[in-house]
Amino acid sequence: MDQPLLSVRNLTVKFGEFKAIDGLSFDLYPGKTLAVVGESGSGKSVTALSIMRLVELGTRAKVAEGEVLLRRDDGSTIDLLKQSERAMRSIRGNDISMVFQEPLTSLNPVYTTGDQVIETIRQHRKTTRRDAAKRALEMFEKVRIPRPDKVMQDYPHQLSGGMRQRVMIAMALSCDPRLLIADEPTTALDVTIQAQMLGLMKSLQQETGAAVMLITHDMGVVAEVADDMVVMRNSKFVESGSVYDIFEKPGAAYTRALLASVPRLGSMKGKTEPERFDLVDREGM
Amino acid sequence: MTTLRDTTTLADTRERPPIERYQGLRMFMANKAAVLGAILLGVILIISYILPLFITTDKLAYVASRHTPPLTEGGPILGTDYLGRDVALIVMHGGSTTLEVAGFAALLIIFVGATIGAFAGYYGGMVDRVLMKVTEFFQVLPGLLFALVVVALFGASTATIVIAIGIVSWPPIARQTRSEFMKQKGLEYVKAAKAIGASNARIILRTILPNTFPILIVQSTLTMGAAILFEAGLAFLGLGDPNNLSWGYYVGLNRQYFLTNWWAVSIPGFMVFLTVLSLSLIGDGLQDAINPKLRGR
Repeated sequence: MDQPLLSVRNLTVKFGEFKAIDGLSFDLYPGKTLAVVGESGSGKSVTALSIMRLVELGTRAKVAEGEVLLRRDDGSTIDLLKQSERAMRSIRGNDISMVFQEPLTSLNPVYTTGDQVIETIRQHRKTTRRDAAKRALEMFEKVRIPRPDKVMQDYPHQLSGGMRQRVMIAMALSCDPRLLIADEPTTALDVTIQAQMLGLMKSLQQETGAAVMLITHDMGVVAEVADDMVVMRNSKFVESGSVYDIFEKPGAAYTRALLASVPRLGSMKGKTEPERFDLVDREGM
Repeated sequence: MTTLRDTTTLADTRERPPIERYQGLRMFMANKAAVLGAILLGVILIISYILPLFITTDKLAYVASRHTPPLTEGGPILGTDYLGRDVALIVMHGGSTTLEVAGFAALLIIFVGATIGAFAGYYGGMVDRVLMKVTEFFQVLPGLLFALVVVALFGASTATIVIAIGIVSWPPIARQTRSEFMKQKGLEYVKAAKAIGASNARIILRTILPNTFPILIVQSTLTMGAAILFEAGLAFLGLGDPNNLSWGYYVGLNRQYFLTNWWAVSIPGFMVFLTVLSLSLIGDGLQDAINPKLRGR
């Protein structure tokens, strides 16, 4: 197997005394999609923000210990937690990009979408505005935005949620990052758009070869797009492995409970009205 | 996922209705009071800046006997003051002084207030605490008194008056900018800008600041009105630039003759009133145009 692109080792993040992440370790391989799964508050988003070194922004959070090792193009590894803020700025957007949960609020309302993507490109690449605009247009086409030249001149409020999320993805991928972190990218979208976005991310991944770290609580999404998965609960690592293995033979009781929370096709056959799910027995997990 | 391209292009091929480019202007025009304010300010600007270009006579020359009332046969239209000077001419020339002092003061107030507010709001923590203590210090100073001291110490030139007004008036702007920055910095688009590798300076100047413009623009019209009143107050107390008679200064000069010569006091005073009124009407209109939530109140 390849060397991992990103290795998280024993990551611990504290909010005061409370441990939001407690000794988390996992590996992410180039070109693969890793799903980080868990219920709300299990530490998934904090994990993503810690990798980006954004977790300490405006909160009391502190990365207490651990390593986040990123493999560079030349094969050497750097610990993101030890980089200066200046070095991190050149890594963010360039090596690692992030797409957020709320496409409605993650674009700046006062600039056109095109301007925002162009500015992003120009922050990392020394190019003229004209070349950056050309590149932005390419990216808009790549994320299958219809009439990209028109949409580039639109302000975010003129676009639908799905379109805005496409713009976000175009922006995130505009500097060819090797890792894309997607923090519940489909949660705020309706189901038909969700399917489109997942398909889009999957085909973009094949085109660009970027690794994707997908944060989600939706088992359907995991089964659809992920290669490997990490299960988290209450700030702690539960288990990890390939999606195929875990769906087949979940090792931990909690993973079984998570999987059981998704209705199975046909389980409601013959019933005339909806029923409650069986409550999962959490004792002993 | 082979049909991906088809489904995605289907979703958005319908033409959207054309967007309203001039919606803001329309909202402003819908506010009759604001339009009145804009017209009023336009007239005041013409009187202060265009008309003087066509009048070559010395504004300080003796034109008719002292205390000639307005509309007297053979006298100037708005009468004369206690030295027999033409009130209309002096008031006309005084407008530019008043407007310039107030305009520069408002610029200074917005610049200082927005800068300090932006730093305090964005960085928070220790930076915020120190800057807010400084702001509070300036806020509890008795404004007019402090400005009087500054002008008395450094001489009554246009520059010192502008600085004096600026020093005592920036705290409210700083607080407003700070609260706006605190609100905006928690929003997802700021986090997204950060995640894309933007520096702090870039986020302050290019990401958040343009989002505070709606508030700053409205505030700047109101600040300008306040600065005009402030300048008039200082000048009335004799701390204006004696080489450039502003409206307030002229009111002050004539105040001891008020019982016999009401017009030389009232006319420049009325001009101050009209200017401040027009600015605050415009401010209201801008608020309507910029902040949709307040519309139709």
